[in-house]
Amino acid sequence: MNKKSNVFLVIAIPAFILFFIFHTYPALQGIFYSFTDWKGYGDWNFVGLKNYLNVFDDGRAGDAYLFTFKFAIVSTILVNIISLAVAIGLNSKIKFHKTLRAIYFLPYILSILIVGFIFNFIFAHFLPQLGDALGWEFLSRNILGNPDLAWLGIVLVAVWQAVSFNTILYLAGLVTISEDLYEAASIDGAGVWTKFWRITFPLIAPFFTINMVLSLKNFLMVFDQIVALTGGGPGKSTESISLLIYRGGFEGGEFAYQSANAVIYFIVIIIFSVIQLKFLNKREVEN
Amino acid sequence: MIKKMTAGVMALAMGASLLAGCSSDKAEDGKVTLELFSNKSESIQTYKGLIAEFEKQNPDIKIKLDAPPEAETVLKTRLTKNDLPDLMSIAGNATYGELGRAGVLEDFSGSELEKKVQPSYIDMVNRLVGPEEEGTFGLPYATNANAVIYNKAKFEEHGLTVPTTWDEFVASLEKVKAAGDTPIYFTLKDAWTGMIAWNSLGANVAGEDFAEKKNAGEASFVENYDEVADKMATLVKYGHKDNMGVAYGDGNNAFANGKSVFYLQGNWAIPEILKANPDMELGVFPMPVTNDPEQNKLVSGVDVLLTVNKDTEHKEEAMKFVEFMMDQETAKKYIDEQKAFSAVEGVYQENPVFEGIKGNFETGAITSFPDHYYPAGMGAENLVQEFLIKKDKEKFLKKMDSEWEKVQNR
Repeated sequence: MNKKSNVFLVIAIPAFILFFIFHTYPALQGIFYSFTDWKGYGDWNFVGLKNYLNVFDDGRAGDAYLFTFKFAIVSTILVNIISLAVAIGLNSKIKFHKTLRAIYFLPYILSILIVGFIFNFIFAHFLPQLGDALGWEFLSRNILGNPDLAWLGIVLVAVWQAVSFNTILYLAGLVTISEDLYEAASIDGAGVWTKFWRITFPLIAPFFTINMVLSLKNFLMVFDQIVALTGGGPGKSTESISLLIYRGGFEGGEFAYQSANAVIYFIVIIIFSVIQLKFLNKREVEN
Repeated sequence: MIKKMTAGVMALAMGASLLAGCSSDKAEDGKVTLELFSNKSESIQTYKGLIAEFEKQNPDIKIKLDAPPEAETVLKTRLTKNDLPDLMSIAGNATYGELGRAGVLEDFSGSELEKKVQPSYIDMVNRLVGPEEEGTFGLPYATNANAVIYNKAKFEEHGLTVPTTWDEFVASLEKVKAAGDTPIYFTLKDAWTGMIAWNSLGANVAGEDFAEKKNAGEASFVENYDEVADKMATLVKYGHKDNMGVAYGDGNNAFANGKSVFYLQGNWAIPEILKANPDMELGVFPMPVTNDPEQNKLVSGVDVLLTVNKDTEHKEEAMKFVEFMMDQETAKKYIDEQKAFSAVEGVYQENPVFEGIKGNFETGAITSFPDHYYPAGMGAENLVQEFLIKKDKEKFLKKMDSEWEKVQNR
């Protein structure tokens, strides 16, 4: 027994050390500097909670929070609906289902920045030409240049790419469901819809939970897609919190202030994840 | 399994030796290697040519050029790690001001090299550092200019002449619009391109010392930029149908293909436009901002300044390279290739495209970029972009003031 736990310790310690050096230690440093007026270099003084109070007063940060949550909630819902639908389709006995699985996974392999630049081209050239040809006024301009619509462009790209990963997770869940259950249900006269709500959905509940939590967390930290598509514009209408922290911290010399913003955001994400887990786990048990 | 483990160990060992290789800057053959950091991807080829020439003259010095994307962020990150390059070729903007105040750059004030530079540009970079730190921490090298670029063929087609007052300029725009053509090709999807017009207007209307006055509480956007905002809104009326949806690169192509008569850009766009259409005939003129031609100045800034890390181990060699660059012959070569202007005394850009603004350089009718003196974290270009969409002047000017103060107070 003792020998066995030593082996586990040997396996775990290097990972723990690496994680601590490259993740925990910088995070602690960030928390420390959030109580100072450090610009990223040079001298600094302790300023207490001034940075934190300023974040709550900052209209720009407020707008960024609003945009990020709007974006994250809409994207999370869309990604989960679409990827579950795709997974059910790919799990059925259709022709080429293995090839199709590989194709549906492709977007995840591509770098987000590359996908973003390709979509940037589509939005700037292809869609306006299509809009002109069809005579649709709203499509004849680049939607990324419209402050009311630009966020939808980002949602489209983010969802297109994120669906692939969530589909794989749902597929993993679907193959665990025994075929017998469906046969039995058919004999009892259950339709497709009833089978989905009574068998499929309850049995993949753990996968639904993990997909919801992971995608919300990923979308709350949205950064690459925005850099590639709008750079936070037009105006500041698509500036996410991650982008604001990066911009203000590294380009604007507000290292300490944005560290405070990052600490607050870290807490917010934890709270949301915990609430989500609590709520969805409860639902799993009830089923 | 064992094979895999040896492979892993090998990879680790190789990684370690690579890392070790980076830290030694004295190469085995006794050569000194200097790192030249540049913030411009456009000048990589020019620098490579100049470096080859320098290395031929100084066989014991090797220059390694590093021009990464997002260069200013990279430089600031390296500053936090105390790992500044030996030589830097960066823009004269707020980042330079910060580096100067951080006390990490060589002070050139009073040196022979400083005397080679036109004094007005020395003033410009000294004002960036501000009064807290005395000294000239960089040598202005190449300069740029904000201009109105025009398509000569189309210009003649519409029977236009170069305007010298704001009213004449608006009349030309109106004439083009009435003829069913596009007057100005805006590329406002990239927020910074809106600052070209903003800077020309701001510098001439609100004055060169706006930032100092603003910090002293004697000026504000609400009081001094009212006219600027009005004129910005006027200009945007003469755009194309998707002003906010086109980015800088696409705009260069569109203008090169005759999609508009005027294009509000800096001299740096000209090589890009000519790349898209080598036969195009271009002209430039300074934006006439007021109705008094005497008052209208060309906005020109320090695009490239050369500076040396104060604590470099090879200062002598680094200075040698700076001296080589500041030589009139090298300076001329640089601006010819880059279609830029020189800050070195007696070196002028003679390319015929720049005929329309040459006079400004000779008479000194030049003023600096106002936004280089704005606090870096305020994000002025996005606020301007937002204003051009929503056109709510009062709210916008108030926001410019409050964002400025907010950033200063942090």
